[in-house]
Amino acid sequence: MKKYISIITAAALTIGIAGCKKGYLDQEVNPNSPSVTTPQYTLAGALEQAASIQEEDYPEYAVWGGYWCNANDYVPNTQLAEFNVTVSNGFSPDAWTDLYGNLTNFNNLQAISTGVAADGNFQAIAMIMKAYDFEELVDNFNNVPYSQAFNASKYLFPAYDTGQSIYNDLVKQLDAAITLIGASGSATNPGTSDIYYGGNMTNWAKFANTLKLRLAIHQSNLTTNAAQADLASTASIGYIDATSEADAQPGYTDALGKENPFYVTFGSDQNGNPVFGYLYYVANVVAVNIMATYNDPRVDYFYAPLNGVIVTDQLGATHTNPQQASPIGTGLLQSPEQSAPVFSSYESFFLQSEAAARGWISGGTAAAETYYKDGINASFAALGAGSAATYEAQVNVAYPTTGTIDNQVQAIITQKYISLNGLFNLEAYNEFRRTGYPVLPQNPASADVAANSQTLPTRLPYTIDELDNNPTSLAQQGVINIFTSKIFWAK
Amino acid sequence: MKKLLLVSLCFLMLSITQVFAQNRTVTGTVTAKDDGLPIPGVTVKVKGTPNGTQTNSAGKYTLNNVPTGATLVFSFVGYASQSVAAKGAVANIVLGVASGELGEVVVTTSLGIKHSEKELGYATASVSPKELTATAATNVANGLTGKVAGLAVYELDNSIDPNIAIVLRGNRSLEGNNNALIVLDGTPMPGALLSSINPNDIADVTILKGAGSAAIYGSEASNGAVLITTKKGSGKPTIVYENSIQAEKVAFYPKLQTQFGIYGGEPSNNAVTGFANYVPWENQQFGPAYNGQLVPLGVPLDSANGTQIMVPYKADAVSPIKQFFNTGITEQNDVSYSQGDAKNSIFLSAQNADRTGIVPNDKNVRDAFSVRGHHTDGIFSADYSVGYSRTTISTYIANNNQLGQYGITVPGSYVTTAGDNDLYSSILQLPAFLNLSAYKDPNSDQGNASNFYDAYAINPYWIVDDARRNEQRDVLLASLKLSLDPTKWLTLSYHLSDNYGIDQERYTKAEVDFTPYSIAAAGNDGGTPLDFATTGKSLGSVYDVYQYGDGTNNNPGYARIQGDALVDFHPTLSKDFKTDLLLGNSIYQEQDKYEITGSNALLVDNFYNVNTIGGQPVAAEGNYLIRNISYYGDLNISYKGYLSLEGTYRNEHDSRLSAAERSFSYPSAKLSFVPTDIIPALKNNDILSYAKFYGSLSKVGNININPYQINNTYSIANGFPYGSLGGLTASTENYSPTLKPEITTETEIGTELSFLKNRIDFNFSYYNSFDKNQTVTINTSTATGYSSELVNIGETQSQGYEFQLTGQILTQAANKFGWTLGGNFSINNSKVIALIPGSSGQLYLGDDEYAVVGKPFPMLEGTDFVRNAQGQVIVNAKTGYPTTSGALTEFGRTTPKYDLGITSSWTYKFVTLGAVFEYRGGDVVYNSIGQTLTFAGSSYYSASNGRQSFIYPNSVIQTGSTYTKNTNVAVQDGNYGFWQESQFTGTTSPWVTSGAFWKLRELNLTFNLDQFIKKTKYMKGLSVALTGRNLFIWTPKENTYTDPEFSDTGAGSSTRGYNDANELPGTRVFGGSVKVTF
Repeated sequence: MKKYISIITAAALTIGIAGCKKGYLDQEVNPNSPSVTTPQYTLAGALEQAASIQEEDYPEYAVWGGYWCNANDYVPNTQLAEFNVTVSNGFSPDAWTDLYGNLTNFNNLQAISTGVAADGNFQAIAMIMKAYDFEELVDNFNNVPYSQAFNASKYLFPAYDTGQSIYNDLVKQLDAAITLIGASGSATNPGTSDIYYGGNMTNWAKFANTLKLRLAIHQSNLTTNAAQADLASTASIGYIDATSEADAQPGYTDALGKENPFYVTFGSDQNGNPVFGYLYYVANVVAVNIMATYNDPRVDYFYAPLNGVIVTDQLGATHTNPQQASPIGTGLLQSPEQSAPVFSSYESFFLQSEAAARGWISGGTAAAETYYKDGINASFAALGAGSAATYEAQVNVAYPTTGTIDNQVQAIITQKYISLNGLFNLEAYNEFRRTGYPVLPQNPASADVAANSQTLPTRLPYTIDELDNNPTSLAQQGVINIFTSKIFWAK
Repeated sequence: MKKLLLVSLCFLMLSITQVFAQNRTVTGTVTAKDDGLPIPGVTVKVKGTPNGTQTNSAGKYTLNNVPTGATLVFSFVGYASQSVAAKGAVANIVLGVASGELGEVVVTTSLGIKHSEKELGYATASVSPKELTATAATNVANGLTGKVAGLAVYELDNSIDPNIAIVLRGNRSLEGNNNALIVLDGTPMPGALLSSINPNDIADVTILKGAGSAAIYGSEASNGAVLITTKKGSGKPTIVYENSIQAEKVAFYPKLQTQFGIYGGEPSNNAVTGFANYVPWENQQFGPAYNGQLVPLGVPLDSANGTQIMVPYKADAVSPIKQFFNTGITEQNDVSYSQGDAKNSIFLSAQNADRTGIVPNDKNVRDAFSVRGHHTDGIFSADYSVGYSRTTISTYIANNNQLGQYGITVPGSYVTTAGDNDLYSSILQLPAFLNLSAYKDPNSDQGNASNFYDAYAINPYWIVDDARRNEQRDVLLASLKLSLDPTKWLTLSYHLSDNYGIDQERYTKAEVDFTPYSIAAAGNDGGTPLDFATTGKSLGSVYDVYQYGDGTNNNPGYARIQGDALVDFHPTLSKDFKTDLLLGNSIYQEQDKYEITGSNALLVDNFYNVNTIGGQPVAAEGNYLIRNISYYGDLNISYKGYLSLEGTYRNEHDSRLSAAERSFSYPSAKLSFVPTDIIPALKNNDILSYAKFYGSLSKVGNININPYQINNTYSIANGFPYGSLGGLTASTENYSPTLKPEITTETEIGTELSFLKNRIDFNFSYYNSFDKNQTVTINTSTATGYSSELVNIGETQSQGYEFQLTGQILTQAANKFGWTLGGNFSINNSKVIALIPGSSGQLYLGDDEYAVVGKPFPMLEGTDFVRNAQGQVIVNAKTGYPTTSGALTEFGRTTPKYDLGITSSWTYKFVTLGAVFEYRGGDVVYNSIGQTLTFAGSSYYSASNGRQSFIYPNSVIQTGSTYTKNTNVAVQDGNYGFWQESQFTGTTSPWVTSGAFWKLRELNLTFNLDQFIKKTKYMKGLSVALTGRNLFIWTPKENTYTDPEFSDTGAGSSTRGYNDANELPGTRVFGGSVKVTF
């Protein structure tokens, strides 16, 4: 009997002691994902996300802006052709969620690097990229949460800030970032984790300065333009040029999930089979016609000729299914390893051209013309389309040096429009909304008889998620009409 | 077996009994009527005196000093007492089971403790092994359905490896687990392991319905518990062999049209008739009416001038949808050995259950072995149990396969852009004129991927041949219990159990190579999906899953090891008071680990190994650990057997919570009163034989969070690592270390009444429970930095009534013909009391279901048509089409409000006929399959107007602000235009039907042939039975789609009532069994 008592007691004690061991219940550390990160890991991940958003999230602007048509489907998606993009019918722009997700990472990066002298460069990049993302948010949605964002414990239902107040603060943030770069000479270099510049902080200063220039140019219609007023203070830093273009290149490769984001969304998968985006989006007659006006050889790079010719489709047109139109071309779909442009040199040149034409930066008309040609050249180079000399020599392409500022802006924006095709659909649509150029067919904007409107949308609706999860703050933005509500800088 | 379980209790009772010396000695053996085995522990008393004794382990007794002419009373809990005159020196007695003597029944309650039913202050129910296995269900859960008020067993699908959920008293938790805790021989086990248990091994199933009854089990039992007691050996060596064979056939096909062939919106209508032309490679059935002429099917095989298949354009006698399914066969062979006396017992069993499914190539084979024993040596006793089972499953890759929960997509078809191209939806698109047998071989000229006639769907036989999931589950359920009774008033015990399963799965998808001819015709009219137009190949895939856990591939699904130390004080303080104080400590650890590797780019056709792939393999790993230490006490005080009070208290420390929130405690109190034992007027009353009233108040914590959900983490950013470059991204769900357990507070009252000498039993209970501090994931504005947050918010109420009535209408003894009729009925009202403060008042739970403040949950919501104030559909004045409204409409709750079970058994001589009917209702179901069928044009509904234009029923036309009845605007096109292009099919409301059904759950006809084999020396018993399950289902007319019990949601999900093409059509099962006892 004693034997049994001792067995039971021993067994109970063993378990009991194991149970009492300190830390037995401390299982708070997740063994499956780390609870800490480094500035390097966060930076690399977030920079790649920013590039993917730019290249994947805006096919709707490509469709409305006249680059692409969504044609190749038996049961046509009528949302885009009919401009039927209300929150209630399931259309929800990816950009909102993606940008805030990306901003969360940059915000974390800023938080962990602020106050750490050695991490000054990370802090600066975080601030610059936050500005880059917030500008993108404003350009999509106008008023968005800014001052109350990223503070879940305090603001579960963050209020919205006006687009203009956000723009104004971004200028300050960019200036502060530029100062930080200058002051952090001995700080850790981000090195390979900086997948845009490999740690070249001078280029980051140019990126920040060019972004500031974009903020200024976007507000050209406004009488008060804080960004423009601030341009001079950092003019000496210069702007993005052919050697300082921001291209994401983490090491894209032809493997599942590791391809260039544009290539895998609109090209083919790792097995070489075309993906949905490639089959779905085809040449739009609008952009093709504009390029035809200028005998633009780039058309064969933006679109793949079928039997030697570019076959176009028209938004909302009825046709025999499936539409056999030209898919996206080899200038955009070069290889799964291609780098992903985030801020192109051609855009920078066209921004500088317009700024010079408007007298916001030095150089006047001559500089404007130079930048204009630089922009065209950079676009040809990016597509691998050879020399632009012949093209630029054409009368209707040449910079209108004697024209009015409006003529000059029209020329700049038209060329900018051609060069932004496919990779920068949002920015092309921004410039169209700001300047009205190039002249896109407005009446009707879609051949679909059921189209909701004869004109193109002026903005995207807010997302269904925001309606569900932040309704009170959203309601304060009033009723959004996608054909009349405008981004604050729009014409 | 019950006898042995009760022995200990009887010894206790014996200790109170005093033995007085008198004049004469009587000896004898007491045996049981049901199995002829001796019963140990039977109380033998001389009537009117305190003189008595008990039978020993061999059922023998010796009673001294029996006066001549005295009456001996033999009594034993669970058996009808018997009185005999003491005539000689020997009195052998046969005791019969006391059916329905409520107060005498002993119930196995929490922690395996037995209580007399009288003492229980809460609702319980038990299901006997006979009831459980009456129709030879392979899963224990199926044997419970319809038999207990408040217990809902959901058969969520009828795949070869079905999902089953067991829910008691409806849903409480909005997003957490609402399933009952499964307890095997005293310790909780992973619920998913239920399918690994051989139902024939089960001795008793007791249902503890509410949170209160199971409070002592702690947070896991907040949804009630199902206690399973397995068989122990007893009596002389006995061998039982049982064989059953059952067939399974589809019983509920959707209602299909057989009038129209294929066409899918091509812009080419017949110039003369204006009706759609026939299109030979279409999947949608909006074509011309069948006319019997020969038509081409598909494009010419292999080349432009290859063979063109020509077929008669008329519906087959049996639709191809029906042709596809097989008759499944389940064969079970079961053998068990049992032997035991009061000191030692052993029970061995082996089972093979072999099932082929209704889908070709589907198989599920289970081999189960178990050994259980008991040993008593003086004050020491030990019980052990080991059960091992191996289940092998082979089936096709379903669209909703388990890999999805790891974020891994394994294609169940080669069409990667169309998510709905899984097996059943491919079958539903087959037109009525298709001769399916020509496509049985997916490698044949006609059936191969390149040549298959349909350009948009795939050959379903390709899926069952070439997209496979093979699984092997090895499950071990082991336990050891050591007990010590050093004195009369103290029992010490330690109980250790280890339950785990190892799940190994392999998903394989074959390579498909398209012919150059079919690639050239890609996307136009050939069979090649455009996705493969460049390479002509869809590469093969392989995924391997290895998981240590609950034997399934649930993420996470836990293995469990638990130790319970118990000290039970049961002193006799006074003659009138029976007291029992139990103090316990329980420590458990749950663990889950999985590893997955795979690739969608196999290099070599038909060679499935992740070593031989292009690109990089997909790999994933997960580790989860839960540890819990609890201390608890349970005090029972019973006064003269008619007034009992129980109080419990439990303190838990759980590793899932942060150090600050880890410890939490909760109490419960229960009271029961038996007036028939004390009020003179009710004593020995012929009408009211027994009455008990009870009530309880209880509080239980419930941890509805997974491990590691209290701290934020970072995960690998999409696409990373690139070479050696790593990238991390913040998690999208915000966790907080302040999370607390949910708290369920339940009030319960009830009564149990027996009438007419226990011929009629009636139970009633009412419960009202509130679940506060719900742990839910709320979606947040992404501007907060997270798209969701796990928080403690909201409160729900679950309140209901349960009735159970059993009557022996005719007793076999008196009438030769016996008839027992039972009914159980439950009403459950659920309500969301509070949700997110400062938000719109509803919470999305998944599958179109929401929690809405003030409404029952889960609430199905979806789109409806734009209607006027009278609810009439407003149609377009030109097209006659209705428009979808942007707002969400509430359709109703998706869990049944009413559940009625009717059991009946008729006995005549040696023949017994038993039946179980079940009704469920008060809920709605979203039949997404209706949408699929109508999209395909194969539903009967879509042809109900002969594909002609019709005026939308009960519609109005709006002119300004007035509505006029629509009498003249017919839909513009009653064919493709209405069913495909208008907003009708895409709207939710046409596919929402009542979820009500009546089912004949069980029917069995048993022949007990024992009396005919009496002269056989070696055979003790023989019975033959015919069995049937789910033989008939009756649904409201509007439901022409599928069994409303099915749901696409997993067993652990709080949502129900959402079915789609992932659930195969409902089936009926019928067959027979033979049971021989040696």
